[in-house]
Amino acid sequence: MSDTGEAARSRSRSEDRELLRRLHEEGDIGARERLVQRHLPLVRALARRYAGRGEPLEDIEQVGAIGLLKAIDRFDPGRDVALATYATPNVVGEIKRHFRDKGWAIRVPRALQELNARMSLTIDRLTSRRGRSPSITEIADELKTTPEQVLEALEVGSAYSTLSLSIGSTNEDDADPLESIGEEDAHFEQSDDRAALEPVLARLPEREREILSLRFEEGLPQTQIAEQVGLSQMHVSRLIRKSLSAMREDLR
Amino acid sequence: MPEQITLEAPLDDDFQPVVRLIVGGIATHAAFGFDDLDDLQLAIERLLAEAGADGRVALSFEVRPGAIGVRIGPLHDVGLVEALKSDGILPGGLTLARILQTVVSSFAVEVVGDGDIVVRLEKLAEGS
Repeated sequence: MSDTGEAARSRSRSEDRELLRRLHEEGDIGARERLVQRHLPLVRALARRYAGRGEPLEDIEQVGAIGLLKAIDRFDPGRDVALATYATPNVVGEIKRHFRDKGWAIRVPRALQELNARMSLTIDRLTSRRGRSPSITEIADELKTTPEQVLEALEVGSAYSTLSLSIGSTNEDDADPLESIGEEDAHFEQSDDRAALEPVLARLPEREREILSLRFEEGLPQTQIAEQVGLSQMHVSRLIRKSLSAMREDLR
Repeated sequence: MPEQITLEAPLDDDFQPVVRLIVGGIATHAAFGFDDLDDLQLAIERLLAEAGADGRVALSFEVRPGAIGVRIGPLHDVGLVEALKSDGILPGGLTLARILQTVVSSFAVEVVGDGDIVVRLEKLAEGS
């Protein structure tokens, strides 16, 4: 390894340490965001290992990002270990847990998975062609299948266990740190504002926050949001669902 | 003449996909677009997620041309009443009430005794 490479790595670790210190000692949420951004390439690289198993890569990356957040939050600045080293098993563990929890979904017939994959483009194409959201029957006609199959295929993509981000761990050390923070929140003012989701909104990835804001603050329909963020309408729908479920879990 | 469909389901998360499929089928029958169908599924999904994981819930659907009314309850979680309050939502506040305001055409909460509530949702199809 060259001196330059070693120096860059050392500088990067120092920057991480400073950001971690600011987060853990001063509660600097901005530092947390910086850390997430700095280590997202690691999450993407790890997520790619699990691509092609019936889940969209973006979804795997999102789950991996949750693992990264957990690693950042539970990192002990007193330990002499790089954040990337510490985060890797957390990210991989989160992804594996996700696949395990969704085991039923990836065992669905291949034809249904393929139909789900084709549907995303079809919905966008029909929306563009007709100037409105297509009905299930129209989607089925376009795909030469039945409305029942379309609904089932939609479910393959949209079904999401609200527990999948935090269940399955019997190891106390593997407990969800966000969840424990959420418990304090929930006990604090549970009776006054049980469903207040905003305290955990900031923990979502930036793209998901933007989508939620466009949908629930600005009131844009999914079709417009999809255009604005450059995703399919189905993907926007999935991200909204997953984000709301993940936030809900944080508060439990 | 509206069609009535009633369903009683466990509140357990495991049954949410089943409820979603049924809601999807009903919305398809009402010729809802994907947008509207997805909104209605999301509204019911979030409401049931807030209602806890124990016990059962009754859902009653009234299907009219271009519209679906849903009656959900009785629900026993008192925290839901607070979560469903529409007044006092701060800008940027993402409460259950804000979510429902966005994804359904109207909703109402009815106290039915002993703190139990019934939630009524109405979703009109786009252009109705």
